[in-house]
Amino acid sequence: MKRLIYIVPFFILLGSCKKFLETQPQQQVDQSEAITNASSAGTAVNGMFNVLASNDYYGSNFPALSYLSAGDIQWTGSQSAPSEINKHLTSATNTNVGSAWTAIYKTISSANYIIATVPGINDPLFTTATRNQYLGEAYFVRALAYFDLARGWGGAQLILTPTITASDNKDIRRSTQAETYAQVLKDLDAAEPLVPTALNRNRVTQKTVWALKARFYLYLQQWAQAEQYATQVITTADYSLLKPYSAFFANSAVSTSESVFELAYTVSNTNNHSNWWLPPALGGRREWAPSDVLVGLLNNPLVGGGRSALIAQTAPPGNLWYGKLYYRTPLGTDPAYIIRTAELYLIRSEARAQQGNLTGALADLNAVRDRAGVTASTAATLPDILLALENERRVEFPFEADRWFNLVRTDRAQTLLSLPDKHLYLFPIPYSETLVDPNLAGANRNPGY
Amino acid sequence: MEIFTSKNKYRLSYQLAIIFLLLVSPFYITAQTVPPATINSELKGKVIDAANKEPLPGAVVRIKGTTHAVSTDNKGRFVFETGQKFPYTLLISFVGYQPREVIVSGSPAEIQLTENNNQLNDVVVVGYGTQTRKSLTGSVSTISVEEVKDKPVATFEQQLQGKAAGLQISASTGIPGDGMFIRVRGTTSINASNDPLYVIDGVYVNSNSLQNITTQGQANNPLSDINPNDIESITVLKDADATAIYGARAANGVILITTKRGKLNSAPKVTLNTYFGAAWAPKLWDLSTGPQHAELVNEMYRNSEADAIAANNTAAINTYRYVPFRALTDNPTASPAPRGLPQEQQTYDRLNKVFRTGFLQNYDASISGGNDKTTYYIGAGLNKQQADLKTNDFRRATFKINIDQKINDIFSIGTSNTLTQTYRTNARVGDGPQGGILQSALHTPTYLPEVNADGSPAKWAGFDNLDVLINNTNMNSTSNRLISNFYAEAKITPDLKFRSSWSIDYNNYKEFQYWNSLTNLGIANHNLGTSSISDNTVWTNEQTLAYNKTLGKHNFGALVGNSLQGTVLGTTLAQGTNFPNDSFEQIASAASTTSSSTKTSYRLSSFFGRVNYNYAGKYYAEFNLRADGSSRFGANHQWGYFPSAGVAWRIKQEDFLKNVSVISDLKLRGSIGVTGNQNNINDFASRGLWGAGANYQNNPGTIPTQLANPELKWESTRQINIGLDLGLFSDRLTLGADVYHKYTSDLLLNLPLATSSGFTSILENAGEISNKGFEISISSTNISRKDFRWTTNFNFSRNINKIEKLPIPVVAAYAAERMVQGLPVNSFFVYKQLYVDPQTGNAVYEDVDHDGKITSSDLQNVGTALPKFTGGLTNTFLYKGFDLSVFFNFVYGNKVYNNNAYFLEGGGTRDANRAIDTRQLDRWQQPGDITDMPRLTALGTNYTLSPTSRNIENGSFLRLSNVNLGYTIPKSVIEKIRLSSVRVYVSGSNLWLITKYRGPDPEVNVSSSSTVLGYDLGTPPMPRTLQVGANITF
Repeated sequence: MKRLIYIVPFFILLGSCKKFLETQPQQQVDQSEAITNASSAGTAVNGMFNVLASNDYYGSNFPALSYLSAGDIQWTGSQSAPSEINKHLTSATNTNVGSAWTAIYKTISSANYIIATVPGINDPLFTTATRNQYLGEAYFVRALAYFDLARGWGGAQLILTPTITASDNKDIRRSTQAETYAQVLKDLDAAEPLVPTALNRNRVTQKTVWALKARFYLYLQQWAQAEQYATQVITTADYSLLKPYSAFFANSAVSTSESVFELAYTVSNTNNHSNWWLPPALGGRREWAPSDVLVGLLNNPLVGGGRSALIAQTAPPGNLWYGKLYYRTPLGTDPAYIIRTAELYLIRSEARAQQGNLTGALADLNAVRDRAGVTASTAATLPDILLALENERRVEFPFEADRWFNLVRTDRAQTLLSLPDKHLYLFPIPYSETLVDPNLAGANRNPGY
Repeated sequence: MEIFTSKNKYRLSYQLAIIFLLLVSPFYITAQTVPPATINSELKGKVIDAANKEPLPGAVVRIKGTTHAVSTDNKGRFVFETGQKFPYTLLISFVGYQPREVIVSGSPAEIQLTENNNQLNDVVVVGYGTQTRKSLTGSVSTISVEEVKDKPVATFEQQLQGKAAGLQISASTGIPGDGMFIRVRGTTSINASNDPLYVIDGVYVNSNSLQNITTQGQANNPLSDINPNDIESITVLKDADATAIYGARAANGVILITTKRGKLNSAPKVTLNTYFGAAWAPKLWDLSTGPQHAELVNEMYRNSEADAIAANNTAAINTYRYVPFRALTDNPTASPAPRGLPQEQQTYDRLNKVFRTGFLQNYDASISGGNDKTTYYIGAGLNKQQADLKTNDFRRATFKINIDQKINDIFSIGTSNTLTQTYRTNARVGDGPQGGILQSALHTPTYLPEVNADGSPAKWAGFDNLDVLINNTNMNSTSNRLISNFYAEAKITPDLKFRSSWSIDYNNYKEFQYWNSLTNLGIANHNLGTSSISDNTVWTNEQTLAYNKTLGKHNFGALVGNSLQGTVLGTTLAQGTNFPNDSFEQIASAASTTSSSTKTSYRLSSFFGRVNYNYAGKYYAEFNLRADGSSRFGANHQWGYFPSAGVAWRIKQEDFLKNVSVISDLKLRGSIGVTGNQNNINDFASRGLWGAGANYQNNPGTIPTQLANPELKWESTRQINIGLDLGLFSDRLTLGADVYHKYTSDLLLNLPLATSSGFTSILENAGEISNKGFEISISSTNISRKDFRWTTNFNFSRNINKIEKLPIPVVAAYAAERMVQGLPVNSFFVYKQLYVDPQTGNAVYEDVDHDGKITSSDLQNVGTALPKFTGGLTNTFLYKGFDLSVFFNFVYGNKVYNNNAYFLEGGGTRDANRAIDTRQLDRWQQPGDITDMPRLTALGTNYTLSPTSRNIENGSFLRLSNVNLGYTIPKSVIEKIRLSSVRVYVSGSNLWLITKYRGPDPEVNVSSSSTVLGYDLGTPPMPRTLQVGANITF
């Protein structure tokens, strides 16, 4: 049995099994170690902006839901999901709608983690100012996310705490649209005193909060507040209407004084905007393009003026029109424009008009028209001004998330877009959500889908 | 370690020195560690074939009751110098012959062995050992490599297609070395792996593609690193009894591959195999001509305008007022701009430009042999294949060396090594327009020219220009792989054997893609270069102790062992954009670069054992148990236990059947057991994690990525198998039949969560799947005469897959496929078109919920991508020197989603964006037309609804998979040129296909995702091949 000695070393190699089976991830950290100090809180906030800026949200998909619905964009690609939206035949299984919904809730989830953990972090290097900034940004981003849910889908489930285990945040009922908007205001109010006052166009400041408040009150038809907050931003020296129109995006400009809130992209974090818009010869797919009507409007010197810089034509013999708001190289590094100064002028114009201040309204409208190099509007009555504003927004923001939500807000979409039914004013609750969450199933779905 | 005395240390280092010397120079080492014993007798003898009296080299002769064994030399001779005195009993064994016991009383002795006329004594490789076929209690298929070796495919799996019952193999694309869809007895899992476990010479080999840079709808198959010519035998373990010894990875079956080795005492044998051939696509898509395309689009415009007027839809009336194909002078400024009348349109054939006749060539050379202690096999191979689709080339160079050395009567060592380099040039196929070569050819409308008036390449509809892609696609990958095993064996007593083995599967996989300034991706990025290196190591260390004992009629065997395994996968990816010009391809030249690296690992620790017993070769019983611990699971469920039991009754051995001469064999088998699955889940799947890389403004960002599930555990599959083996007429007709029931529970499932939680899913053990089925294989020697022999092999498998329990339906990567409780996996859910109304021409879809509207709740199941049954039929004819084999395989009862048709039959609504299939010409045109192709209009639901049953097609087929005609030149001729065997052959594959499927080939799958099957989108069809070749030995 002496020979058995040779065998012994092999068994010694077995060692301790328990240790052998312990492996550690190197690219991820355990949830419990995710936000523990100032530095990791900072990376979590960056992560939150990353999700807000992701392809499925402001990185193209969410604005696309709006402009594909608004009648001025034609579908020129092959994918069925954008085609459905474009033709107002959107089904609950539409993947663009579904992925936008998911991205919005992922953004909310990141914000919730920050809101829940940052106050409790015990780190002497974590200054109150930074702590407040992170918290305020999280409140703002959550407000923006719920605002988008409210205007896109109506009421939403209000998830306000992080999901740490799978059983958290279950059985939350769907809130009404009014309740959702109330939560938006609550978060904006919470953010306002926390965020910094110093200028930053890519992160959240007091002005960013005011700008979203202006838009928020416009949607809620609270004209005085809308005017007040728009004015607070417009009168700040950092924000102005750039002339010519193209100055805010052409020649690879970023963070111009036109932008109140603009998401930034780099090669390590790109978006899909130009991929959908640009023609193949420029590296895109031209999945959709400006409609002939829109091309006509933008090229009309009396309507579009300088805004004709938003479109261009491919080389002959194609001569196809394409949108070139998003165009730069490296591909996917175009900013996403969330709130521009022009919008604040148009918000204030509408708020003033609704309050009877037609002169002031016209002045704001004409500020935007003047910047675009078109003659001043002569609209004289409230209906005329409202119509002029509708038409101005159409050519001012054709490739941003604007026209559709405004036509829905003013209940003009059905008339203008020949919609068979008003249930189309809201996007469907994604089919996959109706399967997993009874709070979104059955009668809790959006009707008509 | 204090147990080692200085003497022992010396002995150990002596042994290690021998091991080392053996590895560097195996041919002249003859180690003598045991002093010669006293010689009491010398026996000289010869072993010959009883029928033709030819000597049998390599037969093993042993003196009964001792470990002393010798092998016969190349003339069949052997010499025994032994301490035993005459008379004594010799045990003689030789593969393919019936073993004999002979009492010898003096020298010399001539021993005749009779060839096996049945397979019962065939040695079958099983988990951690071998068994004779007659003693098997489990369900095991062996595949004759000889039968499939000339099929010109890059991967051995593809050669197995249709050859074994219970094994479903489907190639995804016609590209050599591409991914395969393989199932042993059905799909058991949804999110974890469904691939069998592959073990090559005791090495667990990685079968997951290491590809890191997309080639769109295809994945390079890592198993094509194996040279099929080096394979000696393939065994498929199917039921729980056969697989449970592999425990946690065995739920999807195990495929054991043994490579060729030398034989003791055989002269060097050189084998050369070569072939040359051609591969081309037998059938392509039938696209409409330019004028037809124009007519269809105009018709769609006219109908849409009429519909818009009827619906009072002003926007649409404006859109469709002018047909696009009208005279150039007709409203030239109106939108859309005029493109000329339909009859003025040209037709440009892109398909025949991108498909080609590929050249195939193969060279294999090997030498094998051995003396009384050492055997060796050295093989080298070079295989080059061009796909039927341009820019897809495959080249594999392999080197193989297997050596076994007996050190003395107790110790032996050996090694198996495969060194491979596989080089591929790829193209992007499948979905996605950027760089997609097949989509560019197939989906670009035929009326659109390839070049612009100014001579520049024309780009249409989002696709790259085809000529640009053909000339500028620059994607390649190189797989460098070492599969190596080293073992040492000790026969501690004649009945007790210890074995230790160390194995490694190391794969370094390099990829490179470069998109220059002519391609869309290059234009967009000022050239785009991507380089990736993946580095995967699977190492295994195993020890087994095997004991066998025969006491009278009681035969007893036992095995215990342990296994440690680790897998480490690292990747490094670098990407550059903004290059100076097309001459600079390396990322170092790029102005803007990004890079990343990743690393992940997991470990498995296992203990296993087997006990088997048989009484008089009549009653067999076997019991297996394996315990596996995996680092992937939380402490609560780290260990899984997988037992199995099998019994067999060889009824033929009973007295009442002994005299029934018609029945040559009859055996009943039964087994039950549990196996597990943990493959293809994240290495840290049970933990709550945050990931990085979610950057903003070049600052690092982190986001939650995964919810914790500390309760996560193994998928477990319980399987019951009942089998019957029957041999009739001296085994001229044999039948094997198995009935099985597999039931998988605790499915590792990405359970969808309400995304309001911030997560889309969590990996949980939820859901159950069953697979029930039967398998039949029949093998028959129909005619056996002196000069003519005709044999038939037939196999047939039926599997019924059903998701027994699934809390929430799962939508697959491609939305038309779903996993729903009560239905098979891979079920298609579509809007069912009932008919096209002959009066209106509108498609009528079934309103499942009767709400008067067609909404997503009207999606319904119309079948599954899983076939009802599959099988193969091989007929082999031998006439004098000629051999002919004809092999059919068939698949029945599956559906395929023809996603190409979805794009190409869009009713003209895709206008200039997609080509139109000629089937669109069958559209409804006027009241009374009976067709399933609705009226062309962009309004309504005729062509805007997706997915619909119009694109679900019958995927059943019968294929003449291979015909091989060979001629072996008579010995009398070749002996003059000192060769021992020369066979020349001509072979064709995929020669004939019967199917109702309208695409080129129903055997297609765009995705490498294991949850998707039967999805046809932009992948090249199976090629037809024709080749001539020669097999030469000397």
